[in-house]
Amino acid sequence: MPVTEDDRSTKPAGPVEPLRKEGDETGPSRPDVTRPDRSDLLKRMKNVDPDQARKYRQRSGQ
Amino acid sequence: MPLFGIETEYGISVDSKGASDLMDESRALVKAYPGKSASPWYYQGEDPRNDVRGFHVDRLSQDPEDALFDAPDRKPLPVQEERADRVLTNGARLYNDHGHPEYATSECATLHDLVTHDKAGERVILAAAQARMEEKGANRVQIFKNNTDFHGSSYGTHESYLIGRDLPFPDLLAGLLPFFVTRIVYAGAGKLGIEPNGSPSVYQLSQRADFFTEEASVDTLYRRPLVNTRDEPHADPRRYRRLHVICGDANMSEFATALKVGTTWLVTSLLETGWKPPVRLVNPVQAIKDVSRDQTYKWEVRTHERGNVSAVDLQRIYLYAADNLFRGRGADTDWVLTAWESTLNTLESDPLSLDDRLDWVAKRSLIADYAEAEGLDWSSDALRSIDLAYCNIDPEEGLYYALEQSGAMVRLTKDDEIDKAITQAPANTRAAIRGALVERFSEEISRIGWSKVVLRSKDQAWVADLDDYLTPESVSIVMERLSTDSSLADFIKFVYDNGKTSV
Repeated sequence: MPVTEDDRSTKPAGPVEPLRKEGDETGPSRPDVTRPDRSDLLKRMKNVDPDQARKYRQRSGQ
Repeated sequence: MPLFGIETEYGISVDSKGASDLMDESRALVKAYPGKSASPWYYQGEDPRNDVRGFHVDRLSQDPEDALFDAPDRKPLPVQEERADRVLTNGARLYNDHGHPEYATSECATLHDLVTHDKAGERVILAAAQARMEEKGANRVQIFKNNTDFHGSSYGTHESYLIGRDLPFPDLLAGLLPFFVTRIVYAGAGKLGIEPNGSPSVYQLSQRADFFTEEASVDTLYRRPLVNTRDEPHADPRRYRRLHVICGDANMSEFATALKVGTTWLVTSLLETGWKPPVRLVNPVQAIKDVSRDQTYKWEVRTHERGNVSAVDLQRIYLYAADNLFRGRGADTDWVLTAWESTLNTLESDPLSLDDRLDWVAKRSLIADYAEAEGLDWSSDALRSIDLAYCNIDPEEGLYYALEQSGAMVRLTKDDEIDKAITQAPANTRAAIRGALVERFSEEISRIGWSKVVLRSKDQAWVADLDDYLTPESVSIVMERLSTDSSLADFIKFVYDNGKTSV
């Protein structure tokens, strides 16, 4: 397991400028830096078949 | 003008089917795609055995373990039938690559287009999977945008960059190796476990790092190199080379995709000025594994010139050189320079705070949450299943998409833009011409590829040569005509009347 003192940091890394689209002359908008609720994520993770990775076999590709 | 693209081999899982069935299942999925398309592929002139170092190999290395999955009673099909290539109205290519549905984006000239079209590829593959599942007798299909099956089989997400032919290959190789080895600190998609047969509980930065055994070679299926030397430019071979990058991971995060491609594009531009990095790695093939597996997040690599250097500091060498030469040359360049610098700074000070934009961090955060909630050891198969589920491209099942839907991930494109890119090519590259020919004249296309489109109109056969159309201006002239001419014969007449024997 990774050796770090605090596994879950609560400090956001900072806003990200949007990519410019062709012909887009608008300036960057203020990004939302609040952290959303993660309880629904746990529910979706519990729906994952725990054996999925063990059963997953692929052909070798490029 | 930059030109780049991404080709992704997707993982495919079909209920009650095993690896031996995937050649047929992948082909069936590709053929089920309901969107408008044209085929077959124009293979003439393509040869993946041409090496940029000036020679041709008689065969490419094959993975001996993979042959064990060939069904003994299955007769190989002719190449074109096996691949079931089709070109879509957005100029992209969809086909079966040895048991993986593969989507190669159209050529893009901006990072916004590249991110949007990469995401459109996911939706195309998902639509194909959904259409396949509606067919009689078909089983449930799941699609994963990743690079390993955790059992030693890897498959690629390749980037292509149009570069000039003048840059000597030894300089290109020396310039790229340190960059590719250390790029994984922000471009890695994360993986739980070391392959083959390594510790199952080590969380790595990169999906692909375990699979590289060479610094440079023309191979892609076995004994994979950090720098691929395939010489297949899909453009005028006297002027251009296509840098074919096979060492990257499949990214779900739009930010990671943009940063991966944007920094690589700037590094190729840097090398084309004659700039050379002041360091060489002692053992690049081992170094990428060391960086990927480092649990302290110091990510040190050994160099000949400066001893141990952190991957972040090594990336800064490229960043500062690029910033010095290119800052202010364009919006995408400035975006990359700013994002690159801030990401490196945060990787140095607080890497786990980048869970809103880097795949390896976001995935690790989910795995850590689930391990704690369920009381699981990090060697657990259930956690590896979370790793895999992160890359499930179905928005209703995939964990990346759960994060995105909850507002947790930085977005650089919009859903309506992605939907539009499913059927429309970037307007400023030759993909627009290819896509428009498919949209308008798919029934009259007899073969189609990146550079050439062969069309037949009654008693006329005509080759559209797209190699010259590398500027937005040249593309728009043709597009204007394509949107007004009522028939292929009228369009061909326009071309001949303007003194050209092809588009």
